[in-house]
Amino acid sequence: MLSVENLVKNYGDFVAADGISFEALKGTVFGLLGPNGAGKSTAINCISGLLKPTSGRISVNGHDVVSEAKSARQSLGVVPQEIAIYEDLPAVENLRYWGKAYGLRGKELDARVEEILRYIGLGDRAKELPKKFSGGMKRRLNFGCGIVHKPAVILLDEPTVGVDPQSRERLFDMVVAERDAGACVLYTTHYMEEAERLCDSLAIIDHGKIIAKGTVAELRAQLGARDVLQLSGTFPSEESRSAIQSLVTEKIHDLEIIAQAKDNLTLTLSNGSHHLQTIFDSLAAAGGSVTETSLRRPNLETLFLLLTGKELRE
Amino acid sequence: MNFTLSTIRKDLSRWRQDLGGMLLWMSIPLLIGGLITSMMDSGGGAKPHGVLLMTDEDESFISGMIAGAFGQGEIGELISVEKVSLEDGNTRINAGDASGFLVIPAGFGNAFLESEPVTLTLKTNPAQTILPGIISDVTEILLDSGFYLHEFFGPEIETINKLIDDDTGPDDLLVSTMSVAINDKIESASEQIFPLVIDLEIVEPPPSEASAVPYALLFLPGIILMALMFSANGIAHDYWVEREQGTLRRLVITPGQMAGFLLGKALAAGVVITAIGGVTLLIGFAYHGVTVSRLPSALAWIAVSGIALFAWFGVLQMAAGTQRAATVVTSMFLFPLLMAGGSFFPLAALPDWIAAIGRMTPNGFVADRLTIEIIADTAWTIDFQSWLIVIAMAATGLGACSLRLRSGFARG
Repeated sequence: MLSVENLVKNYGDFVAADGISFEALKGTVFGLLGPNGAGKSTAINCISGLLKPTSGRISVNGHDVVSEAKSARQSLGVVPQEIAIYEDLPAVENLRYWGKAYGLRGKELDARVEEILRYIGLGDRAKELPKKFSGGMKRRLNFGCGIVHKPAVILLDEPTVGVDPQSRERLFDMVVAERDAGACVLYTTHYMEEAERLCDSLAIIDHGKIIAKGTVAELRAQLGARDVLQLSGTFPSEESRSAIQSLVTEKIHDLEIIAQAKDNLTLTLSNGSHHLQTIFDSLAAAGGSVTETSLRRPNLETLFLLLTGKELRE
Repeated sequence: MNFTLSTIRKDLSRWRQDLGGMLLWMSIPLLIGGLITSMMDSGGGAKPHGVLLMTDEDESFISGMIAGAFGQGEIGELISVEKVSLEDGNTRINAGDASGFLVIPAGFGNAFLESEPVTLTLKTNPAQTILPGIISDVTEILLDSGFYLHEFFGPEIETINKLIDDDTGPDDLLVSTMSVAINDKIESASEQIFPLVIDLEIVEPPPSEASAVPYALLFLPGIILMALMFSANGIAHDYWVEREQGTLRRLVITPGQMAGFLLGKALAAGVVITAIGGVTLLIGFAYHGVTVSRLPSALAWIAVSGIALFAWFGVLQMAAGTQRAATVVTSMFLFPLLMAGGSFFPLAALPDWIAAIGRMTPNGFVADRLTIEIIADTAWTIDFQSWLIVIAMAATGLGACSLRLRSGFARG
């Protein structure tokens, strides 16, 4: 349904997308995860036709986005990160306008607009101007405008940024409903919990490259059952490293250093809560001091930390 | 076409909510125009100035009086007289280098004194509107005055003429006798009216058009163009509004609707600009008493020209890197164009070389043709070539807008 093969996008010497490949299937939600600036938006812009790839191939519903741009765009519904609606045009007119932009006419358009208004919960406020709406209502209308033509592939670019919890739940429901109706949904986010909840499969992207890919279950399996322990304080580099190496050899065999700096240390290990005192004692003996501790159970966020050595939202 | 209509409806619906802005686009030119017109009507406006070429083949005292009369009083402020040879005069008037060319034939003085018919030739410049009319009117008045002077003071004028020819000075007795005679005749002058003997033949063009146009009416096209320019620029700013709200970006990813979008926006702009220009035109027509039979043709000209101006203001708006820069850039073009294009002073009142430059500006070109349409005897007098030029302006402007939208402006 949506296929991206070896996508490269350069801006001069800067490589924004470096050989990105993935495939999203009909009736599934595919997540594209990564921190800000990782290359998600570049990938989305290339898929939607806003940017021309430097190399690589993208096909939407079997149509190449470069050589068969019109057909590819007809199959694509884009819900941009920034709200892109006419705030000075009634909600129903917004939907009608974007429906016509995708070639809907007459009764088909009337029926679809009515259906979408009900779907996004704005049926009773259809004739009001969006500038009077709350942020969540505008988001829902933004979503409606992107899917009014019943696209086969839907691109959702960080749709929940700045959205209140109630509207967010409603958006999740709409994404699931579109998926169940047979659409292929590409969902970009930097919120791991959203990805874990919605996505059937996903790719983690950083510095323009895909660093992990698979179903949520497959990616969790990469972590095993290890926890992530983050310590803040003072850690003399050589002495701390030696102390941790001694622990690996003598007591905690699966302990690993993910990241180390003068004022923080990130480790991964099994059953972290059982080994906290041992680690603290060892670091203190090496001249270090711990001021703050964070122990996290394994999830996609910790996987990202494991793979890149940094937080997803840094 | 369906999407074009949809875009027209969408934009008209959106812009309708900004009625205040539209009224401002119209009221500023009306206010300025009202002030200028009232100043003109009260005689306080800028006066035109022209050159009258003159060939005096007679070179008599009488013919010299004609040349001298043009340099007197307020006429002298309007018209400079330049003596030229017949050949030079013909060459220059044909090149449009003067407002008029007057030829006083040899024997004019004698014919005047003998009360014999004589013909003066006045050629006027068809490219100018006001000054040729003034020159022909003044010449006729001078000749009428000359006739009556001759009827009343014929012997005295003949005596003075002889004295000049003989190169001898008058004695005191002669001066006293003539003074008494002139005084007596002035007292009885009001009772004497005779038919004209000397007539003036106007060769070209028929002076009725120009002389019938009130000076203040010539400001109307410039005022309308001011309203068109303000509204075209204001509406073109909508490209920035659409960009900021992300709808242009959304449009770019639709399947091939850019042309329909641009055409729809241009036609919607045309509707608004025509409405604003039309109201301004109607107010002007009502004030100056212009017949409404010119309204359809003038409105059509305003509509097409308004779309062309909107298209090019769109190009200027999108050429800037930021909204603020767009405002600065368009203002940099807008006000000098208004000044040069005859919105503050009619082109007919400007020096020839400035008027020629003014007619080459887009708004000056449009205003010049609109002036012709308003003051002509019949409607639809704007030539086909001018229509083609504004249509081409609109098409190329919209083409340039399309290129700019596709080349990155819409993406933000």
